[in-house]
Amino acid sequence: MSEDGISKEPMLEMYLFEGNQLVEQLEEIIIKCEKDKQFEMGAINEIFRIMHTIKGSSAMMMFNQIGSVAHSMEDLFFFIRANENIQVDFAGLSDLVLSGIDFIKDEMNKIAQGNAADGLGDDLIAEINIMLIQMKKSYEDQNAIPAVISNSPPNETTTKYYISSYQPPSEGKEDNTKYYVQVFFEEDCQMENIRAYMVVNNLQDIVNEIYYIPADVIDNGESADIIRENGFLICFSTQVSYAEVESTLNQTAFLRKMEINQVNEYPAEITGLHRRREIVLEDTIAVDEPPHPEFAEIGKDRDAGTGNNRQQNIISVSVAKLDMLMDIVGEIVISEAMVTKNSDLAGLQLESFSKAARQLRKLTDELQDIVMSIRMVPVSMVFHKMNRIVRDMSKKLNKEVDLEIIGETTEVDKNIIDHLSDPLMHLIRNAMDHGLESKEERVRTGKPAKGKITLEAKNAGGDVLIIVRDDGRGLSRDKILNKARERGLVHKPEHELTDKEVFSYILLAGFSTNEQVTEFSGRGVGMDVVTKNIEKIGGSITIGSLFGKGTEIFVKIPLTLAIIDGIEVSVGLSRYTIPTISIRESFRIDEQDVISDEDGNEMIMIRGQCYPVLRMHRMFAIKNSVTRISDGIMVMIESDEKTACLFVDKLVGEQQVVVKALPRYLKKVQGIAGCTILGDGGISLILDAHGILARQLA
Amino acid sequence: MKSVLIVDDAMFIRLSLKMMLEKNGFNVIGEAENGAVAVKKYQELKPDIVTMDITMPEVDGVEALRQIRAMDGNAKVVMVSAMGQEVMIRNAIMAGAKNFIVKPFTEESVLKVLCKL
Repeated sequence: MSEDGISKEPMLEMYLFEGNQLVEQLEEIIIKCEKDKQFEMGAINEIFRIMHTIKGSSAMMMFNQIGSVAHSMEDLFFFIRANENIQVDFAGLSDLVLSGIDFIKDEMNKIAQGNAADGLGDDLIAEINIMLIQMKKSYEDQNAIPAVISNSPPNETTTKYYISSYQPPSEGKEDNTKYYVQVFFEEDCQMENIRAYMVVNNLQDIVNEIYYIPADVIDNGESADIIRENGFLICFSTQVSYAEVESTLNQTAFLRKMEINQVNEYPAEITGLHRRREIVLEDTIAVDEPPHPEFAEIGKDRDAGTGNNRQQNIISVSVAKLDMLMDIVGEIVISEAMVTKNSDLAGLQLESFSKAARQLRKLTDELQDIVMSIRMVPVSMVFHKMNRIVRDMSKKLNKEVDLEIIGETTEVDKNIIDHLSDPLMHLIRNAMDHGLESKEERVRTGKPAKGKITLEAKNAGGDVLIIVRDDGRGLSRDKILNKARERGLVHKPEHELTDKEVFSYILLAGFSTNEQVTEFSGRGVGMDVVTKNIEKIGGSITIGSLFGKGTEIFVKIPLTLAIIDGIEVSVGLSRYTIPTISIRESFRIDEQDVISDEDGNEMIMIRGQCYPVLRMHRMFAIKNSVTRISDGIMVMIESDEKTACLFVDKLVGEQQVVVKALPRYLKKVQGIAGCTILGDGGISLILDAHGILARQLA
Repeated sequence: MKSVLIVDDAMFIRLSLKMMLEKNGFNVIGEAENGAVAVKKYQELKPDIVTMDITMPEVDGVEALRQIRAMDGNAKVVMVSAMGQEVMIRNAIMAGAKNFIVKPFTEESVLKVLCKL
């Protein structure tokens, strides 16, 4: 296509976007069918249509392997669709379709990563073809019809269309002019027979009689080859002028060569045609036309198996553009602050300016909210991906499992959702593999043989909570504790450890209590990777479990990474932003309220509770800061039930900030989530309460 | 400038056609992702040309073509289809389709068809 001068970039993006969407849709359909233990007509239609679309798009992009796989799949479902009552090995069929999906997915991934789609689909295609052949054979046996002709209702024939066969020249039409036309189409124009038929069709209105060779252009696909070789011969008589005949014929697209001759008599091959033609006619009527389900199924398309009816009022926008928009809005927010809080204005009485500034502020806030909401996507896509994993694993592990999905409409930022899929997949795998017991064990312990995994999402303040729950064997506190002790991970008296703390050991690197390494979840690598991935997007994981009853894993992730409400504080000459969500309160205290233990750790008592004091200037080695407790201010921060008081110089103000990632050349510092540009152009580091608490209270 | 309504359930094909057409001086005034929407949009937009996919959910291309032709006997509808759909194309031609484009198409082949309208 590049030779057409059309840039491939947006096309490729669209191809991948739509392709992935279709493949996911397809996967859902298959898994639903498997659950229902049948392929509904609606589902078969949908599968056929999806494969048809993928085939078409892939051919356009010249991804021929994907196209061929989709094509053979399309053929397969075309056959199934046409023969509703056919015996199908459903398990084999869904396996086959799923491997097709996997192939297409893999190839699309390769393309997305800028690699060549070099996978060969030959084996797969062969497999699909074998299935098709078997189906056809069993169908024939079943119906004892010797050919590939079908059981279509005879009314199909009524749509057939024949142009009158040759009849001896009629009398009384002396002013008719007879024409003999030979048409050649361009090479590679495809479907020459249908194009020939179009020529005839166009002539319909102006001719009295018409004959053509080959005569079976509609019914016989091979006639295309004949036309390609010998051209298409048409003879007709008409009363209209030569010019009109010519212009009518010229409507034909892809004309390479056309000879229009006025003749006195039709050539012998035409006059001899009528006899043969009649025979052909009888033949074709006697044999029912193979059903064209596109036709028969129009009504049924409506209740197609998925709920994914796309709405027409939705457009798709590339994420890169949204990122850009977000960035610009971020800059606007900053510029707005730069203008309205400009130091040149200090001390001036500017009534109407302030009014205008307030209006501007309101609008930028709205703009921000809208941009944020545009970026929000429901977690359903990620959640439904898990269906496939549960399906595959329950087959391999021979465990029966129900996956319940709750709250799939909960929305999170697009950037976050992209990082959610892998960790969730891992958690589900763990639940399947380690969490749920084998069927026998479940029955023995009085549980239903079918296990249950629940995947739930809900909003919780500024965060989204994702819960992966199973009703399996649960975690064993003793086992974990033993292992943690072996690995030297326990730093506290054991009786002081809460269950939650014990369970959280499994999130650490190199920890696994499962002796067997299985295909799906290995030994120890995994949960720590999950933790890291979740922390990367500013989230955290906690685990709850009841031994023998099941495990619950809570993944807390922020709604968005891009903009947060924060309190700006100063320490020495540096400014920091503390996310408002992590702040519980702030207050001043006196020197004597601070208690020190023997190691020099400072603490304060508030309402009978003891909280550690973290001096920011010590943590980040800042000079020229306030060091007298009574001169500064305490900010109490909390995260995951850990709480501490940060000692800072003073509170500067409250504002929304646009989070920018730290530049790559800076090493990741635990406790710093990113940075932001302040209204005066200065830089403020954004604190990550979770990181600070983890770092200081470890 | 001729106005075009593009009908296809695949976004990718709609985008491909749109880019090709706009580059060549056609004015793409609307898109539809199934036959029902296509009929509605035809009524609304009165495009000079419609490119019509055949295999679509809800209402397929041939049926949409019939409905459009019933509303407007002069409607210029070009079918877009893949190899193997000969019978459907024939039905479409009988129902009044002006021509057809075979997927995968090139800019050249699309223009050759549309310029004949």
